[in-house]
Amino acid sequence: MRKQLFLIAALIAAPASAQLPFLTKRGAPPPQVPVQSPIEVMRADFGAQSGGTTVYFSPGSAQLTQQARTILTGQAAWLRQHPAVAVRVEGHGDPTDTRDHALALGAERAAEARDYLILLGIPSAQVSTMTWGKERPGPPSATTIVQDLSGAPAVAAGG
Amino acid sequence: MTVKAFRTALVLASGLLAAAAQAQQPGAPAATVIAIPPLTTPDTGAKGNQMLAIAWQATQLIETDLRQTSELMPLSPDRKDYYSYPEVTAPSFPKWRDRGAKALVTGFVQSRPDGRYTVGCYVYDVEKGRELARKGFAIAPADLRRAAHKCSGLAYQAITGSPGMFDTRITYVAETGSPAARVKRVAMMDSDGFNHKYLTAGDTTVLTPRLSPHAARLAYVSFQAGTPQVRIVDLDSGQQRPLLPGNAMTFAPRYSPDGSNVLFSMMLGANSDIYVVNANGGAPRRLTYAPAIDTDASFSPDGSKILFESDRSGTQQLYVMNADGSDQRRITFSVAAYSAPEWSPDGKLIAFTWRSGDTRRIGIMNADGTGERLLTNGPADEEPSWAESSREIVFQRTDATGRPAIYRVSLDGSAPRRMTIPQDGSDPNWSGTMD
Repeated sequence: MRKQLFLIAALIAAPASAQLPFLTKRGAPPPQVPVQSPIEVMRADFGAQSGGTTVYFSPGSAQLTQQARTILTGQAAWLRQHPAVAVRVEGHGDPTDTRDHALALGAERAAEARDYLILLGIPSAQVSTMTWGKERPGPPSATTIVQDLSGAPAVAAGG
Repeated sequence: MTVKAFRTALVLASGLLAAAAQAQQPGAPAATVIAIPPLTTPDTGAKGNQMLAIAWQATQLIETDLRQTSELMPLSPDRKDYYSYPEVTAPSFPKWRDRGAKALVTGFVQSRPDGRYTVGCYVYDVEKGRELARKGFAIAPADLRRAAHKCSGLAYQAITGSPGMFDTRITYVAETGSPAARVKRVAMMDSDGFNHKYLTAGDTTVLTPRLSPHAARLAYVSFQAGTPQVRIVDLDSGQQRPLLPGNAMTFAPRYSPDGSNVLFSMMLGANSDIYVVNANGGAPRRLTYAPAIDTDASFSPDGSKILFESDRSGTQQLYVMNADGSDQRRITFSVAAYSAPEWSPDGKLIAFTWRSGDTRRIGIMNADGTGERLLTNGPADEEPSWAESSREIVFQRTDATGRPAIYRVSLDGSAPRRMTIPQDGSDPNWSGTMD
């Protein structure tokens, strides 16, 4: 899985590095344009091709809107093309909710998004879920994040 | 811990003083004036002087404790009010009556051959001229603070009829860093603010620490495994472990009144339900099955009932069920949302977070759901937790800039007071009296 992940990333990353040939030079000064790691490139591609990484909910609700279904359909299409890539859906509760209900609602939102991806034919092993409750600022939502399985700690883990 | 009663505590019920206090104007402060002349010593010579200095420390600690309550109003101790050892049990009542005191605390500190101290405390009804309660301890010198807290608790209970909350612990989540990247650590302190320490390093998000009844263990939620999971800390050894094996999302832990079980919520797919498990591990038992969010469960003080919140009706409301999950019934019926409930230690009241729109306030109601009363104005108050006295609540208040702090509010209608902690704080939880 690890090998495939880098292969795809290298293909995507190729045009970007082609524009910046000096990056290959040893001992060159720090580049002005940040270099994207393979996982960042893959995440950007996932967001661009899917039509969005995040689906939004009404306050207090875990029901998928039509707009959310459209985005999840785009995410499912991308995931079908990248069967070796695992994603995690991170649910967020309402910022003005109480702590534990927000955790549960965030988990429910993540589960609804995951269930819809599975309904569209994505293997359940490819999609995990977690909840942040109201621990991250922002609107009620669920964000699908491409997991970095290259050995580095996942970006959103810990915190 | 090392504080041991060496004499049987004789706590006489004192409904008389409490009744007198309650007879005053409702809403008006009805504090009982209490005199705390400096504790004395039977020791003489240089040892006597040394013990008098220690007795003075204890006196000041007792005054500080009682001044924090809304029921008692201590007269400031004056070192000139020295009394002899025999006067500990034969105080001059007219003197304290003249100064307006309704109650009196006397006591002594005595050195022991083994290097420890004997501390004795006596509580009197000044108007009736009779003893209400007495208690004694043999303590290590380092435990003077706790002995003083026990004396304060003795006076508080003798006068109000409720257990004191001076020898207790408060845990909370210490928060630092910008609102977008908060560093959260489980913190714990004695309820007087001493012995403040951090139990987690801040490398992972933590939530909702909850102490076992006598503050020997602590359960909290950690994101260490990538998803929220309940972990248990043994406070004596410092050892930590997950409540359950595996990677299920678990949260909202609460100890049973005897400390033997832990209630918690667990996600099964999109469904949050309430479970109970032995505090030492084993297989959890499921208590609710509704296809809705059931969470924030806590036991009644006798362990026979469980209070929880559920949005099975469409909004968050409070429910009560038997400890085995049977006979679930709704106790709140309002357009507001009710959440994060906790049963008072005396069993009579329920504290909760009341939510309407974006406003969150702390409220109380009778255990059957009647007599609702909101104690705070919000707009962002939550996570109430009772003091052992059942007369005060600690809670989280978030200000307009998003920074949370810990507040205490008394049931007498006085304004909430902000607690002094080294940084921002959230999710406070107040233990019962330590052993």
